[in-house]
Amino acid sequence: MHKRLKTKFLGVELESPLVLPAGVMGMSFSGMDIARINGAGIITSKSLTLQPRTGHKGPVIAEFEGGILNCMGLCNPGISNGLLEVNEFKKRSRTPVIVSVFATNTEDFLMLAKEVNNSRGDFLELNLSCPNVFDEFGIPLAASKDEVFKIVKAVKESSRLPVIAKLSPNVYNIVEIALAAQKAGADALCLINTVGPGMAIDAKMVKPVLFNKFGGLSGPCIKPIALKLIYQTHSAVDIPILGMGGVTYGIDAVEMLMAGATTIGVGTAVYYRGIEVFEKINNEIIEFLDENGYETVEDILKLEKLKL
Amino acid sequence: MNKRSTIKIARIIDEAEDIKSFVFAHDLTAKPGQFIMLTDFEGGEKPFSIADCTSNEFMITVKRIGEFTTRLFQKQVGDYVSVRGPFGSSFFVSDGNVLLVGGGYGTPPLYFLAKELLQNGAKVTVVNGAKSKEDLVFCNKFRELGVEYQNITQLGCLGREGTSVDLAEKAMEKQKFDHVYAAGPEMMMKALQPLLKDLEYEFLFERYMKCAIGICGNCTIDPIGIRLCVEGPVLPKKLVEQLTEFGKYHRDATGKRIEF
Repeated sequence: MHKRLKTKFLGVELESPLVLPAGVMGMSFSGMDIARINGAGIITSKSLTLQPRTGHKGPVIAEFEGGILNCMGLCNPGISNGLLEVNEFKKRSRTPVIVSVFATNTEDFLMLAKEVNNSRGDFLELNLSCPNVFDEFGIPLAASKDEVFKIVKAVKESSRLPVIAKLSPNVYNIVEIALAAQKAGADALCLINTVGPGMAIDAKMVKPVLFNKFGGLSGPCIKPIALKLIYQTHSAVDIPILGMGGVTYGIDAVEMLMAGATTIGVGTAVYYRGIEVFEKINNEIIEFLDENGYETVEDILKLEKLKL
Repeated sequence: MNKRSTIKIARIIDEAEDIKSFVFAHDLTAKPGQFIMLTDFEGGEKPFSIADCTSNEFMITVKRIGEFTTRLFQKQVGDYVSVRGPFGSSFFVSDGNVLLVGGGYGTPPLYFLAKELLQNGAKVTVVNGAKSKEDLVFCNKFRELGVEYQNITQLGCLGREGTSVDLAEKAMEKQKFDHVYAAGPEMMMKALQPLLKDLEYEFLFERYMKCAIGICGNCTIDPIGIRLCVEGPVLPKKLVEQLTEFGKYHRDATGKRIEF
């Protein structure tokens, strides 16, 4: 597709460093495929749970100037239906797939990992950090370095696929959690999940806009937080980082690579710039390479990264 | 940015059994075929096709089917609800000889379309069908527009027994249409499609919708990944012909496939 955008993630060749993150479009094989056709280099499924989930009642979206709040509530068709969609996608394409899974304890994560072992997925992502199911499940696992260590270690022992730990930005010290994941054997980290959660109020009706009251914050306003946490984490760990958070334009992606990410997720920008956003950002990255004397994306990855 | 507007119900019109129209004094600037998401913040936000829209008013027509719509039916003129939108694609407004095929409570957006078509100089024929005459909506509204109008029920309560597809077939035998539009149950459109052959057409699809802004993937149709909230809900012939799930299955709130 674009020779100059080719890169590698955990030894797997990518056509583009752009990733469709969990929760966006990845409900069905055709939703994954349309992101691939439009230029995503890796596709992530919805975060799959053992049983199907309808997610929260609406409204699940509250928009404001700097981004959106969402409380989808982990709606997904369940691990077995979800993997059928992943397999169907993989029949049509060689683009790597990250199968994202969500659970609240080690046993369930192990059951999910076992299912994923038998799928055509390429990577296993442990969603340890959904901020929108607090009422149901309490504080996200990613808030505790001990929980993260325990789960990653157990899953790592039984997963056929490389394991990615998806971390939360809503913690006091992300570095110690990232280090715990690395020590437990995580092959890569994914950060950041949505920020907050936050709240929106309808002043005329004196009601929270989101039925779940609170929702994770995404969009351009969280980019500075994502850059900071990726930069900090990259300086401390040796495993690759799948960076995301507010990437809307090519320049955002380049900045994130410079902060220490090897691949970059693009989610909320699908709303701002259409499903074509992957192709647009790919082209904008190439423009940046041209204007700044870089040959390929790999040249940016090879840069001596900003160090703490 | 699709701003949320919290607005008062200006009028409520009884249309048929368990079917009401809600009118809002609000400039929505919508096109025929588009939809809004509506909530009362008490649980649930649902998509509704726009049944009529002028520069200072818009209308939706609602069938009472569950908890959410039951609550909506209890609202009074002057009560607030909150809407997002308009969202999605719209019908092409032709100036030729056109046929509109409606089914049940899916018909209302065709009223908005018919008005725009007439304004554009089109010759408009409407066929409208429902299970029984209690379910038939907008008969008088269409007649008042002065379009060629026929209706029918599956139970035959108006003297004719059959579906709007039967009426469409007869109308197409009598005259040559340039464009056919349909809104209603998916199986009605599935039955209509083979009769249309070389004719240009557009169908309005109804599917489970969640975010309405094209990111959650709940309303994506196989195998081409069309998002009904962005590229739909109105799909032209060239897209409908590519859909393998049309008339076969849809997805529920979890994303699981459910056969029709």
